Order: sequence, then structure tokens, then C-alpha cells
Amino acid sequence: MALLKLEEVTKRFGGLVAVNAVSLEIDAGEFVGIVGPNGSGKTTLFNVISGVFFPEEGRVFFEDKDVTRLPPFKRAPLGIGRTFQIPRPFASASVRENVAVGAMFGVLGPEVNVNESLKIADQIIERVGLQEHRDKQAGTLTPVEKKLMEIARALAMKPKLLLMDEAMAGMHPSDIDGMVAFIKNLARDEGIAVVAMVEHIMRAVVGMAEKVIVLDQGSKIVDAPTKQALEDPKVIEVYLGHPPEE
Amino acid sequence: MKKDTGKYLPLIPVFAVYLVLFLMGKNMSGMWQLMAMLLFYCALGQAFNIFLGMTGYVDFGYVAFMGVGTYGMALSIVHLAHYEVLGAWVIVIGFIMAILFSTILSLAVGAVALRLRGAYFAIATIGVNEGFRFLIEGARIWNGSEGLIFMGELNQILGREAASVLATFWADVMVLVIAALAAAVTLVYMRSKIGYALTALREDEDAAKVMGINVTKFKIVAFVTSASFAGLVGASTWALKTPYVFPPEVFEIHYTIEAIIIVLLGGAGTLLGPVAGGLIYGLSKYYLSIFLPGFQLLIFAPIIICIIVLFPEGVVGMLKKRLRDTALGRYIV
Ligand SMILES: Nc1ncnc2c1ncn2[C@@H]1O[C@H](COP(=O)(O)OP(=O)(O)O)[C@@H](O)[C@H]1O
Ligand SMILES: [Mg+2]
Repeated sequence: MALLKLEEVTKRFGGLVAVNAVSLEIDAGEFVGIVGPNGSGKTTLFNVISGVFFPEEGRVFFEDKDVTRLPPFKRAPLGIGRTFQIPRPFASASVRENVAVGAMFGVLGPEVNVNESLKIADQIIERVGLQEHRDKQAGTLTPVEKKLMEIARALAMKPKLLLMDEAMAGMHPSDIDGMVAFIKNLARDEGIAVVAMVEHIMRAVVGMAEKVIVLDQGSKIVDAPTKQALEDPKVIEVYLGHPPEE
Repeated sequence: MKKDTGKYLPLIPVFAVYLVLFLMGKNMSGMWQLMAMLLFYCALGQAFNIFLGMTGYVDFGYVAFMGVGTYGMALSIVHLAHYEVLGAWVIVIGFIMAILFSTILSLAVGAVALRLRGAYFAIATIGVNEGFRFLIEGARIWNGSEGLIFMGELNQILGREAASVLATFWADVMVLVIAALAAAVTLVYMRSKIGYALTALREDEDAAKVMGINVTKFKIVAFVTSASFAGLVGASTWALKTPYVFPPEVFEIHYTIEAIIIVLLGGAGTLLGPVAGGLIYGLSKYYLSIFLPGFQLLIFAPIIICIIVLFPEGVVGMLKKRLRDTALGRYIV
């Protein structure tokens, strides 16, 4: 059974087809990279999976349950977590409170109270290395810290599937390696399937993904094991000017 | 368990101010009216803050909940006065009816309007208050535009003397109790999942949804709670203090504006903010009306604009930030 399954999903904005009949499967614990140039529909695909938008056509299944028209707040408790391309912290709340929200309303939601959620938050904050900033207002963090906080917030939800939109955008290359190792370990330890979307940072994709899905103008053009995918002529064409670096 | 008692420390400064207002009013001659007015504004702010402050949504029809609360009390008195066995319980029933009326109206408004986003919600609510007033007047509900006058019934229930003490003293004390209760509920919410959900949706509704928060549900919780307290304030301060009710007087948008100013002045979403806002607003209004009668608004508007520009997070919002890491910070939330 696939953890996540999309069947011929299409999402339009007016005349623009942002996601065009995309089908895909993601297995539990799998690490998948989604790449594609700017505007190829990656974020929109995430929005359809997390319920921000409903697709005009096609269906979305999570653990065999049809979630195509399920509102987003009902998907989170099932185990779908995500981060945003541009971090969206709850700015006036502290980092700790932000992360605790994830625990309170995610998969663990029904079982944990506020105090337990705060304890979970503390552990995860430590894990992503934000302990020094724990009591700061989230709005005052640097962009990279915000990104880390979003990851922490999503992890606190105990997701089975973690969608990371441009997880490494804006990060320094030396931080990226650390981040890649971190996410990889985490996915393995917690058994989370991670779908990380990366725009140009091929290095990150090669480093972590088992499988790569390539989008171009809303359509899926490649879906294959990483090495094979990156050698595909179609990918090289899409990325002309950005050949895979070693 | 011990740690948990610390969670409620921030109520101390709030209750302290209310107690001081009460004692000053009771013991200093001629001060009761002023103190009662200040308590009214604090209560109004404290009630509205649960919605406006905690969700960031602006309800321009807020006074309608005070209005129907007033009617809840008035109708109870009018219809139940002749059941002698009930005695003063009529007043208790009146408060329950006030909560019931404001809850029903807020559920009806909320179920529709709270699905709308920020500005659209605000616009949708502008009509609620006026609409309700015209409904009462036009359809001649609850005696239409002639209103209800129930001085006689109150005297019948309580006796002339007790009715007058109720109007001049106990009604104001009830406003104090309602303000204190609203503050306590605010803090309980803040410390529970409700408060976390409201903060999240106030800051970023889409992110909150994706994190599993049923934003409509939590907005309705805040809305109904806030509306019930407004109903109670209306019932005590308008029905019991002045034993009559006319639609244009209770469905008067002016009070909504005052409530918004108080919440913003003090610090939206803070516990102590409505107290600070209520005091600043009430005192300025009082003294301006004495020293510069007729020019209140002319002076008042710039003062309010200055405060809001200087302290965009309100007086308490700013204090809270300054005191964040100090010992005092535990008391200011
Ligand atoms: N909310 C929206 N409204 C209208 N058009 C949108 C919206 N979101 C994305 N688009 C359009 O859909 C296409 C795909 O965008 P997006 O999914 O953000 O791509 P990517 O994340 O791969 O850069 C773009 O042409 C973009 O302009
Ligand atoms: Mg994108």
C-alpha cells in the first residue's frame, strides 16, 4: 500500500494548468525529491496534497483513504505535515509555542495536553538546534532559523508524510549538507516519508533522495530512482544551464 | 500541580485594579458614578478582547450582543414579574436569558460570517447590528420601537428600595464581576489549546489550518464566549441600571467603536490590555467632557491616534515586550 497516491490530479488557476494530470505514489518512509524549474507546479502540488487547494480533476489518497476534498485541518491529524516555501511562523508567539502547536493539533493532538505538547516541543527544538532561541518571538528569527522552526513545527505533528517546500532555499551550502544529513537521519529514525522539493540545489537532491520526480510546466516528466532520473535527457534539457553538479 | 498555580498569576494585577476601583467608588464620596463607568469600559474591553484581541477579527456588529442581552433581562422581568414565587430569581433567569440570546445570535452570525476572511467578515458584520434593530422595530418584535419599560415590574419583584439599590449599586458590582469573569476566562483560554489555536489563526490562518487547526470552530468558540459576556454586560448595565430598553439606544454602533478603541489602546489579545484601555479611555472621556465639553471628539481622536501610532501593540502589548524576561513579566500577559 502506498502511503500517498495521486491519480491524474489536475489543478488550474483560470486558464493556467498549474498541475497537469499528475499521478504518483509515495511509500511509507521513502525519501523523494521533487525538482522542476520555477513555476513548474511544485508548490501547487503540495497545496493539493495538504488540502490548501482542491484539484479540479483526479483524486488524492492517503493510506488508501480518499482525501481529495478533505479540509486541510483534517489531513494534519492523519499524518500529513508540511513546511512552506516562505516560512510562515506565528510571529508573535515564541518558538516554543509555535512548535507546541504542531504537537497539539497534529497526529498526537487528541492524546496530548498543553504541558505535554510543550515538552514535546522542547525535545524537538533541541533536536533541530534552536534551543537558544526557544523563548524568542518567532517573528524575530533569521530566515534560516525560521525555516528550522517550521521543520520543528511540522515534526512535532508526528507526520507520516512530511512535505518540505524549498527546504534549503536561501541556505548557505555548508548548512545545506548539515540539513540534508539531519533530515535524512530524521526520516530514517522516525520512519517519516519525506517529499522535499528543491529548485536548483541538485546537490541536495543527489545527497538525500532515493527517488526523484521531475515536474515541468505542471506535468510529471520523470519519476525514477535518483541516479537514473538525473541522467535522463529530459531532465538535462529542463535544467539546461543547471546541469547536475557533483 | 504546584507549577500550574503560577499560570494564573497574571490575574492578580487585573483583579487588583478592579478591587481598587470598587473600593475607591465605595469609600470616596461622589466617586461611584465615575468608577462604575470605568468598570463598564473595562468589562466591555475584556469581553470584546476575547474575540477581537484573540482572533484579530473585527466585529462591527458587536453591540448587538449587548442589545439582545439587555432584551434577555428585560423580557424576563416583564414576563416573570407576576410570578411571586420566583422573587429575585427573576434576575438570575434574566442573566441566563441574556447569555442564551447573545449565544444564539452569535452562533447564527458566526456560522455564516466566520467562514469569511478578515476584512470580509468585518464588512458582513456592519449590517448585523442595524439589521437586527430594524427587524425589531419593523416586525414589532419585543414591543418594537416603543421598547420595554419595566420600572414597575422591578419594584414589584424587589420592592422599591431594593430595586433602587440594585440600579445604583448592585448592577455596577455585577459589571465588575462580569469583567473579572471575562478576564479569568481569557486566561483559561490563553493557557489551553484554544488560546494556542487562536494565536495561530490570528497570525496566519492558512498555516494554522495546515497544522490541523479547525479555524472556524475556534473562531466560533471565541465569538460566542465574547458575545455571551457582552450579553451579560448589557443585561446588568443597561437593563438593571436603567429599567427600560429602546432599540436605538442599545443597538448603537458607537459602543462597538468604543470597545474597539479600548481593546486596541490597551493591547489586543493581552489580558491586562482591556483594563488599561478601559481606564485610559474612560478617564479621558470623563475629564474631557468636564473641561472641554463639546470638544471631546476633536481632542480625543488625535490622542487615540497618537497612542495607537506610538504603541501599535497597545500599552500593555508594549509593556509585555519590555518585561518579557523580567520577574514582572510573569504577571503581565
Ligand atoms: N494561488 C495561485 N493563483 C494563481 N496562480 C497560481 C497560484 N499559485 C500558483 N500559481 C501559478 O501556478 C504555476 C505553478 O506555480 P507553483 O506551484 O508555485 O510553482 P513552483 O513551486 O514549482 O515554482 C505558476 O505559473 C504560478 O504562477
Ligand atoms: Mg514553489
